[in-house]
Amino acid sequence: MNAVEINGLTYCYPGACRPTLKDVSLRIEKGDFLAVVGNNGCGKSTLCKVINGLIPHFITGDFQGSVRVKGLDTLSSDVGTLAKKVGYVYQDFENQIVRPTVLDDASYSCLNYAFPDYRERGRAALEQCGLKDREEEYVWQLSGGQTHLLALAGAVSLSPDVLILDEPIAQLDPMHADRIYAVLRELNEVHGKTIIVIEHHTEYIADFCRHVLLMKDGRVQWMLPTREALQRVDELEDCNIFPPQVTQAAHRLRKLGRLPENAPLPTIVEEGKTAFSGLRYTPRKTPRPAAPTAAESAVSFRDVRLSYRSVKGEPRTVFDGLNLDIRQGEKVALIGSNGAGKSTLMKLMVGLLRPQSGTVSLFGESIGAKKAEDLARYISLVYQNPEEMFIKDSIRADIAYAMQVRGIRDWQQRTDALLERFRLTAIRDRDGRLMSGGQMRRASLAIGVALEPSVLLLDEPTANLDIATRREIIGVLEEMKEIIGTAVIATHDMQLVCQWAQRIIVLSGGRVVADGTRDEIFSRSDLKELVGIRPPEIFSMARALDAEALCYTIDEFTECFQEEKEWKN
Amino acid sequence: MEKLMNRLSENILDKFSMEFLRSQVLKNAYGNNDTVIAALDPRILLVWYLFFGLVPWFVNDLSFLLGSFLLVLVTTILARVAGLVLFLFAVGVFSQTGYLFLVTLLFGGDASAITPLLILTLKVAVISLASVTVFSGLDPDRLSNGLMWYGCPERLSFSISYAYRMLPMLMEEFQNVLLSYRLRGNPPAHDTLPGKVRYLAYQVKIVMEAFYPLMLNTAKRSRTTVEALELRGYRYAASNKEVKRIKLAALKTTCNDFLFLAVSALCVSVSVLCSTLL
Repeated sequence: MNAVEINGLTYCYPGACRPTLKDVSLRIEKGDFLAVVGNNGCGKSTLCKVINGLIPHFITGDFQGSVRVKGLDTLSSDVGTLAKKVGYVYQDFENQIVRPTVLDDASYSCLNYAFPDYRERGRAALEQCGLKDREEEYVWQLSGGQTHLLALAGAVSLSPDVLILDEPIAQLDPMHADRIYAVLRELNEVHGKTIIVIEHHTEYIADFCRHVLLMKDGRVQWMLPTREALQRVDELEDCNIFPPQVTQAAHRLRKLGRLPENAPLPTIVEEGKTAFSGLRYTPRKTPRPAAPTAAESAVSFRDVRLSYRSVKGEPRTVFDGLNLDIRQGEKVALIGSNGAGKSTLMKLMVGLLRPQSGTVSLFGESIGAKKAEDLARYISLVYQNPEEMFIKDSIRADIAYAMQVRGIRDWQQRTDALLERFRLTAIRDRDGRLMSGGQMRRASLAIGVALEPSVLLLDEPTANLDIATRREIIGVLEEMKEIIGTAVIATHDMQLVCQWAQRIIVLSGGRVVADGTRDEIFSRSDLKELVGIRPPEIFSMARALDAEALCYTIDEFTECFQEEKEWKN
Repeated sequence: MEKLMNRLSENILDKFSMEFLRSQVLKNAYGNNDTVIAALDPRILLVWYLFFGLVPWFVNDLSFLLGSFLLVLVTTILARVAGLVLFLFAVGVFSQTGYLFLVTLLFGGDASAITPLLILTLKVAVISLASVTVFSGLDPDRLSNGLMWYGCPERLSFSISYAYRMLPMLMEEFQNVLLSYRLRGNPPAHDTLPGKVRYLAYQVKIVMEAFYPLMLNTAKRSRTTVEALELRGYRYAASNKEVKRIKLAALKTTCNDFLFLAVSALCVSVSVLCSTLL
């Protein structure tokens, strides 16, 4: 039997003038692992909400056609019955957790649907999702990845046949992302669940999913087995979906005539090994210009010690004797797993936190006695969550705020210039919260550079963005290099690190475990185990072909792997 | 002297930073779930509170009040209430009655004013400390279950435990919004006394303004929460008696609960006995 059957579905949100889903018909087999891809606003999330019955039972609107889940017609069943068939994990999953402790939340649905053994069911779900030993913890003590697993456990506890996840790994570092997908694979293979993910990360699709469904303007374009689907590079890129880097590189090489026309494109590194076997690595002639060294120090940490008060028990020590210098003009990426101290380090630099001992100095002067307000002229921090930076009711007012209250003479002209620079002029009167992810990010960057600080700190500037928007933001950051002297980015995004950073600092447990250029960092294999950093796929691909190869972008890869191997001729 | 004043004012401002408030509130809500008081059955504790929250209003007997005061003092210590709450309690009691005594003395009253004022103060103190014991010693989730057992609507108990889940995140977000104001704002200089007053007014204004973005952010979040609650059967549970029964089955009274009641009763009777003997 099919897990989901949709016939001739057309759906229009209440008050909308055009339907969001148009004549959708599809069948999802039981036990499938399906990725739904498509441009922003193409109806992916709406399709998923149709499957779990939120549409049309909770969100009304104009609904035509039929949807069956395990043979159950969603129109004639209520949300409660459907919830036992279909589990749903939202993109902003932390908002679907409503109970204070882990076990409470995992068993909440079961309690509500009056299962007397709700606790056992919750426990079983936690075990399936790998949260077994965290039952008694408070939900806010969990890391992002664990919170996602908890949201998943809450859905799994009702033992539904179908699980839907909306962008499960958008907010997670690679280690946690792997964990989520490992759990999903187990649910799929061992427990026989049908899994549907809305996913932009095609590397994960290639590794884990069986089928891919492409949606465009509310219609189903096609549904194909993953290998076949990812071959359609042009069609996918048209919808702002970027196939795995290995596939993109092969596609480009094929266009250049370096790969045969008819051979299938590789989608994972393993396949790449054979597909690219005919190519030879030639190191590039022009090495990247080295970072300016010996410049004066912009920020320096000397024997910094800091610990947090915790709710219970001993204070937690974040840094103990940290020494670090960030020199003027450097573009630094700060990497490390969650909780390694990246955000804390940034808060120390802007004077929001004070070390218990040791000194933090800015341009040679200790910031010990200075107020955070006075430091704002020299150093500025852009938060991970842009919503927390919007304190006025329009982004124009937000960008102007810092200049206005400081009485900077031509603040109005400067605001307009910033709006123009970050392409926000058309939406300048809108509240920041109501903008799209990319616009919010650009606005927060504009706010961050408003006072023309000498040092700019960015906390996870590309988190939570879809791949297309992420590319755009990386582009903006690239442009900003000219106007910003020194910049530090804390991030999990290794593509950003490879493209943007001149110096990489790896933090682990409050210590600097590695510090150097990307070649120095990524060629060390011990770091991978220690802090779970993972180079971009294309880098691994190049290394798999030639242990000496260091390619960080597709451009570099296609440039270096061109010549055919001599022995082949 | 000047330096000392400066140090002092810096220190007070420092103590009352959001970080401090946050840690105190969190300590109060989550930090003491392993105390004797927290382990008691919430239903028993509510009955106990009904007595110590009401009776002192109607009794003027000094030794009864003194006895009750000592008892609730002990329970407050057992509940390991956060320092900030106790400080607010002290300020509250003083502002209710303590100042009256000072005023009485100032305007030529004598020590005879002590007894009536002491009685009033004790009343207020017993009731406040009893409230502090129950509402901050018990974790809100257990408290809401107890309330539900006595027939309070499910909606109220859900709100309490949901607030309990959201509190740390809201406080963190509020703190971050405040930081945005701090980093981008330009507070008045506060070297002189008028400057200090202006600075204080500025801070109060910022705290009030910061609520606006916080509310909007929360509203934005709640969309998902509302849908998720629907999926997770919240509405279904509200109309189902069975669910309430299952939920409340977890409440159990133990020997400790009765021991607690017995000790309290003993304390009260001894104090009443004292007052009849004297």
